[in-house]
Amino acid sequence: MVEIVFLIPLFTGAAAFFLPPKIGRLLLVLTGAVHLILSVMVWTARPAPIFPEYFALTPEGLLSLLVISLLFFLISIYTIAYLKASELWRETIFTGSMLLFLATMTMVTLSDHIMVMWIAIEATTLASAPLIYTHRSAASLEATWKYVLICSVGIAMALLGSVLVTVAMDVGNVDAPISFSAMAVVARQMDPVWLKAGFVFILVGYGTKMGLAPMHTWLPDAHSEAPSPASALLSGVLLNCAYLGIFKTNKIMHAAGLEGFSGPILVVFGLISITAAATFILKQTEYKRMLAYSSIENMGIIAFGTGIGGLGAYGAMICLIHHSLIKSSLFLTSGNILLGFGSRLIQQTGDLAGRMPKTFIAFFGGFAAISGFPPFGIFIGELLIVVAAFRAGHYVGAVFLLLSLCVIFAGLAHNVMKISFDPGDTPARITESASLVWPQYALLATSLVLCFWMPDTLYQTIKHAVSAIGGGF
Amino acid sequence: MIHAVDTILSLALLSILFSFGSSRLPALIKVLAFQGIVVSVVPLFIVQDMSTGSIVFTLVTLAIRGIVIPGCIYLAIKKVAIQREVEPIVGYHASILAGLLLIVGATFASHHFDAPYSAVSVLLLPTAIALLGAGMFLLMARRNAIAMVLGYIMMENGIYLVGTTFSIRARHIVEFGILLDVLAGVMIMAVILQNIKQTFDDVDTARLRTLKE
Repeated sequence: MVEIVFLIPLFTGAAAFFLPPKIGRLLLVLTGAVHLILSVMVWTARPAPIFPEYFALTPEGLLSLLVISLLFFLISIYTIAYLKASELWRETIFTGSMLLFLATMTMVTLSDHIMVMWIAIEATTLASAPLIYTHRSAASLEATWKYVLICSVGIAMALLGSVLVTVAMDVGNVDAPISFSAMAVVARQMDPVWLKAGFVFILVGYGTKMGLAPMHTWLPDAHSEAPSPASALLSGVLLNCAYLGIFKTNKIMHAAGLEGFSGPILVVFGLISITAAATFILKQTEYKRMLAYSSIENMGIIAFGTGIGGLGAYGAMICLIHHSLIKSSLFLTSGNILLGFGSRLIQQTGDLAGRMPKTFIAFFGGFAAISGFPPFGIFIGELLIVVAAFRAGHYVGAVFLLLSLCVIFAGLAHNVMKISFDPGDTPARITESASLVWPQYALLATSLVLCFWMPDTLYQTIKHAVSAIGGGF
Repeated sequence: MIHAVDTILSLALLSILFSFGSSRLPALIKVLAFQGIVVSVVPLFIVQDMSTGSIVFTLVTLAIRGIVIPGCIYLAIKKVAIQREVEPIVGYHASILAGLLLIVGATFASHHFDAPYSAVSVLLLPTAIALLGAGMFLLMARRNAIAMVLGYIMMENGIYLVGTTFSIRARHIVEFGILLDVLAGVMIMAVILQNIKQTFDDVDTARLRTLKE
């Protein structure tokens, strides 16, 4: 009965298109709450799926499911307050698409069949396209067009990759279902040449969706043009879903003994992404684009860690979870700033600490967390990855990583200081409603708590997940 | 010996050259519809002992690839009244030459792969690679947004050719899901196209350049 977790938002999402906006808002929070309860139940009870050929509970999928669920619930509470504060054109489309987006992303976390996974990831693109076009401006139209076209072409590559992986089975004369779990068992009999080709195409395809440079060009536009709750979902959850596709394929590569091929490619893509983020983040004039580039940086770090393996893979998983929590909180906070100052330009803001103190705490806390300051999880994740890189002898890569991290920190700090403390034109306070800040506090607090106390079941699941790609202590 | 499949596939290769040479959008859409039909009938000639279900599935694919998707785009064009040029970045003659080089290159490249079914048809893998490359070419060498969508569809045709014929194991329900995803993708693109036309009064992607670094 695992499938019910994505069927519920699918139905409520379809219904939300036709219901009046007020009921739609209620439906959003209700579905979020039910989804969270169901996800926790799935986590504890581990029920069997109805269609075991297509869906399965995997440790990495369960981790993502729990993150998605928690994030969506908190974001849905924020969304209600956000929708009240901002006038949206055709709100029903927005709420309906949010719910469909949740359904498709949940499907990604549960899918085990290589083609169902593809269908689900492509469906996330389609469900989220209307979210980016919510403001109906020329710029948001451009962002949506880029998003749909670049991601569709990218994901077509992933489809080709998936097909090539099945060809690897045909050439190797393997008879097994084409699910990730079954393929990991028979991986050694698959034809290595076709499998390698399949991995490269899948990495490029899902990497486009994950925001790895140089295929990242859609990401800053889409994240900055979408309304903040949608940006939070895009950055916090969607990128994880795309990573899941790469992770699962990497699992097959490891099972086939081809980690010597997949690892370096992941490391290179990771480093390119981090460097690209460091280059572009310095001259950002919009704070939402700045956050988007920080997402590219973190995805690069995660790909780098996954490629290195060992301690690095564990660190990558930690980074993945904490990046979701922290970055979504930052994007929600950027929504408050946008509501307060009415502009996405950093220049138009200022004196956030004085004018919106509650938002300022969330913003500054998020900034400290995303830059990798100690009490937050990204610090642990990045530390483990750097240690693993040195241990594995990737000295050049590690130095590149650390240098880029410094540059990114400088770029972020410069802009955050400007937004927070620059004397603005008017010292007037801007009213902030409580429900527009406490979801961010909750997200940051979760990240903080997870650093000091991680439930054993969570720890075991992470360890179990990364052990398949050669990770662990 | 020349198989029936190779004759059909040569039509697909010709359609690439036609698409590179066509300057008007309606003509390009017709070429793509033709290509969709050609690509969809290939499994009928390759897979032996097809079950009734498989035949029905192939026909549904044919209807979607050959009629529904091109029809969708045609309607999108008609609604916004664009009957214009495809606004090439690379000229038509150069495009056709590139198409020829692409086909030759694809044939050479296909020799390096040890593909199943290579005994059945010599043209299968070259055609698939050429369609993929041609789709990419249209995406890069045409500024018109509709021509770009058509390039994407051509890529999907190439992938379909690799998918259905190389691998017998992908179950129909999954393939159908893929088809629906592509269809939904094209429909969403058509909606965006209409909005682009309304907002910018054109579908030249050169106008979409406010968001950049």
